[in-house]
Amino acid sequence: MKQEFYDTLSSPILWGVLLLAALLPFALSSYYLHIVTLALVYVALASSWNIVGGMAGQVSLAHSLFIGIGAMLSSALLLKLGINMWLGLVISAVISGVLGAMIAWIDFRFQLGHLSFVLITLAFAEMGAIVVEGWEFLGGASGMLLPKDTGDFLAFQFGGGSGSFWVMLTLAAVCVLVNVAILNAPLGFYLRTIRDNEKAAQAIGVNVLRYKITAMVISAVLASVVGTAYVRYLTFADPYLLISPVITIEIVLFATVGGLGRAYGPALGALLLVPLGEVLRGKLGSALPGLHYFIYGVVVIAVILATPRGLLPLFERQWERWRRS
Amino acid sequence: MTFLTVDNVTKRFGGLVALNAIGFSVAQGEIVGIIGPNGAGKTTLFGVISGFITPSEGEVSYDGHSILGISPDRLVWRGLMRSFQIVQSFADMTALDVVTTAALTRRPMREAIDYAAAALLRVGLGGKELKMPLTLSLQDKKLLELAKCIATDPRCILLDEVMAGLTMSETAAPIAVIQELNRQGVTIVMVEHVMPVIMRLATRIVVINFGEKIAEGTPEEILKDQRVIDAYFGDHIDA
Repeated sequence: MKQEFYDTLSSPILWGVLLLAALLPFALSSYYLHIVTLALVYVALASSWNIVGGMAGQVSLAHSLFIGIGAMLSSALLLKLGINMWLGLVISAVISGVLGAMIAWIDFRFQLGHLSFVLITLAFAEMGAIVVEGWEFLGGASGMLLPKDTGDFLAFQFGGGSGSFWVMLTLAAVCVLVNVAILNAPLGFYLRTIRDNEKAAQAIGVNVLRYKITAMVISAVLASVVGTAYVRYLTFADPYLLISPVITIEIVLFATVGGLGRAYGPALGALLLVPLGEVLRGKLGSALPGLHYFIYGVVVIAVILATPRGLLPLFERQWERWRRS
Repeated sequence: MTFLTVDNVTKRFGGLVALNAIGFSVAQGEIVGIIGPNGAGKTTLFGVISGFITPSEGEVSYDGHSILGISPDRLVWRGLMRSFQIVQSFADMTALDVVTTAALTRRPMREAIDYAAAALLRVGLGGKELKMPLTLSLQDKKLLELAKCIATDPRCILLDEVMAGLTMSETAAPIAVIQELNRQGVTIVMVEHVMPVIMRLATRIVVINFGEKIAEGTPEEILKDQRVIDAYFGDHIDA
């Protein structure tokens, strides 16, 4: 592990930001707290996706599958079999990890290449959605309603509002720190070489299969755990939201706008775009339905055109300039 | 005692025979040059030895064991390292990052960074650690390939045209590095077009043409070999 990781962990800036963020529930109305909580969900998801999509350069569209398993399976286990949701979280995460390993193996075994990988992962995601919608055990097309969140921690309940916010803040911080850790560990070096040139990576001793699987498993497990926490926050396990490829597209979008492969890039993208989307929808959604999508799209296109490598590199350059002057 | 043996290796790509029953062996500590006209099959041969290409027939053994079917990264672990003719670069990594990854083969993270920096210094790339490989000059890219090789602590390296495209004065640095590696006991097999370099470095030369070995011997013997002159040097001798 590079020294930078320990520097980050012991950085007063990190803990200062987290502490200030933790105080937000006392300052925000429930509407804005909801928006920030939602943003944190996407910070966690985009950061978990970044391990595969950004660092290893493998545009996986299978993440809705992992999020969906985390959400739908843990809900079904609780509602249909009475299994505690903490245990459900673990079971879902394990299954997601195994599926992730399987997808990575298929990719390597059949040397899929970038485009085929995208399509195969999308196919897995669609299959997941079909299974959920067609299988009553997982809620079918109508979804499942979780019991009211009374704040019973042992039952995976956080009381909604500020409690759920803190859970999401923790998850988001963990996902971002896992990114920092990987980038400063051998795994990060391996993944970056794999992204840029698999053959050349092998030629300097990188076991491509092993690290592709490792990246996918870490990413899938994190996404699944966030999925479980997200469904608990929503209380309603909606298959059209939680296991739809649309959620993956959003994640990919946030990560790309923020800065692919960077530890803080996807987080930045989610923190800016989720509130923007929500506020636009709140302000314009009723006035002219669809207009908020339009504006949102224009903003995203503008950002990608202006800074193809994402907003984070842009901010870093500005920061350098400001520091020097 | 042979260290690396290529025995009767044939590689067919569809109807094209890229390598035809090639065989030669390399002793530990030797520098063996492989020469041949363009398209002779040199790079394919390296691909076979380094595990990237599976031969249609034949056997390759290294350090007393067959290495057919062993993946390139496992071979690097076992000390068999190759460089690429077309410099393989990583778009978003600094020179130091790339060499560090190579050094991670045998070292933990912190040590690997220092070791990689030392390797860059050794090949003459000191001060260019944080450059992106794509922005390096051709010579520096070739030196970076060498630094990657060194960083994995190899026992045998396959160098694919490390000198190609360099001026004679630019070859001085890589030659010095190769000689130093060899003095430390590293076995070297090199494909090269730059004749003066290979004549000076190699203890033995294998000549390939149209996928077949047409001659093998010391540089002096090779220079006198009529088949080699016909197939390879031709006009060069007259000019």
